Amino acid sequence: MDCKQATEMMVARLDGHLDDGSTVLLEAHIGACCSCQAEWRSLQRLDDLLTTAPMVRSPVRLRVQVMTRLQRREQARRAIVGSTTLALGTITLMLLLLAPVLLDLLRMVGIAPTLLSAGPETVVQLLALMRTMGRALLVLLETFVTPLAALSLCSLALALALSRLWTGAVSRLRTES
Amino acid sequence: MGPGGVIRVITETEWIQQARSGDHVAFGRLVQAYQTPVYNLTYRMLGNAAEAEEAAQEAFLRAYTHLRSYDPQRPFRSWLMAIASHYCIDQLRRRRLTWLSFEDEIAVPENPVEGGLVQLASDLPNPESVVTQQERAVQIQTLLSTLSPVDRAAVTLLYWYDYSYEEIAETLDLTVSAVKSRLYRARRDLAKLLEEDGENGLQTSD
Repeated sequence: MDCKQATEMMVARLDGHLDDGSTVLLEAHIGACCSCQAEWRSLQRLDDLLTTAPMVRSPVRLRVQVMTRLQRREQARRAIVGSTTLALGTITLMLLLLAPVLLDLLRMVGIAPTLLSAGPETVVQLLALMRTMGRALLVLLETFVTPLAALSLCSLALALALSRLWTGAVSRLRTES
Repeated sequence: MGPGGVIRVITETEWIQQARSGDHVAFGRLVQAYQTPVYNLTYRMLGNAAEAEEAAQEAFLRAYTHLRSYDPQRPFRSWLMAIASHYCIDQLRRRRLTWLSFEDEIAVPENPVEGGLVQLASDLPNPESVVTQQERAVQIQTLLSTLSPVDRAAVTLLYWYDYSYEEIAETLDLTVSAVKSRLYRARRDLAKLLEEDGENGLQTSD
């Protein structure tokens, strides 16, 4: 047995993984080798130092800190989900309301090449196009002031206010409990 | 496992189930049950109270986020310790990178009890013992700080958590033979350092 093997066996012995036969061999080597004797002593000292060291107790505030951070993170997450839902809802509503106007506009884009290649009649047709666009703009404005659109926007705002109130009440209840 | 242990496991399983469905109170109970083991690990790894506290908080928050991926067949404690160990290993690697980028001469590790003496989880009989315990605590942290992050985690899990080589391997994503050789090398080096300290009379003041 060389000294390197002996050190490996010493570590195995500290962990209780050395069989009886190997333990006898190791002890014989330690008895005959001064440097291994010193190494075994220092390994035992280290093992004793680490084995007897107690756990470091956590600060009492740790649980409260974790829970506070968790609540803040959940609130932030809810705010992001809420605002994304609101934004998506508004976009969908706007698209639904503006769908007829958008379809008209798309149709106009479709006939644009014909207008350009029509020669002298282009000016007349261009005027017609501008008139149509003016009408489209009027429809757009009318849509905005339609009672139905105003009602939808109001209910959206009401839903937002209620959800905020609800979130506030729930987090207050959680903090109290 | 005695009857008390069985009750604890049942209760713990319920807490985990409830926490999984978003119950903060149940998760709070898990934090309460495991705060000292998690904090001890982060403290042994990072070596100072402020960073250990922050890391322990982060480990619990990560555990909450990934609670759905937790396999109930595995002990919750091992799963939690794996999260805390990996977080601390990352922090230590990042810390080393920061040091290297500053090119400072940082050969001596910082005082491990800087920022307040640590509270040890044992009943100490008298003030003299408190002093000795604190000196030993400093000595242990100084020794641990000389190890690489992964070796530090392996030694901590072996000595403070009575983990087997297999459990350490699973926690740190290593092979069992890699754990054996890391633990062998780490303890050989630490014993040498301890011996040198003893010769220089640095370890404890009489």
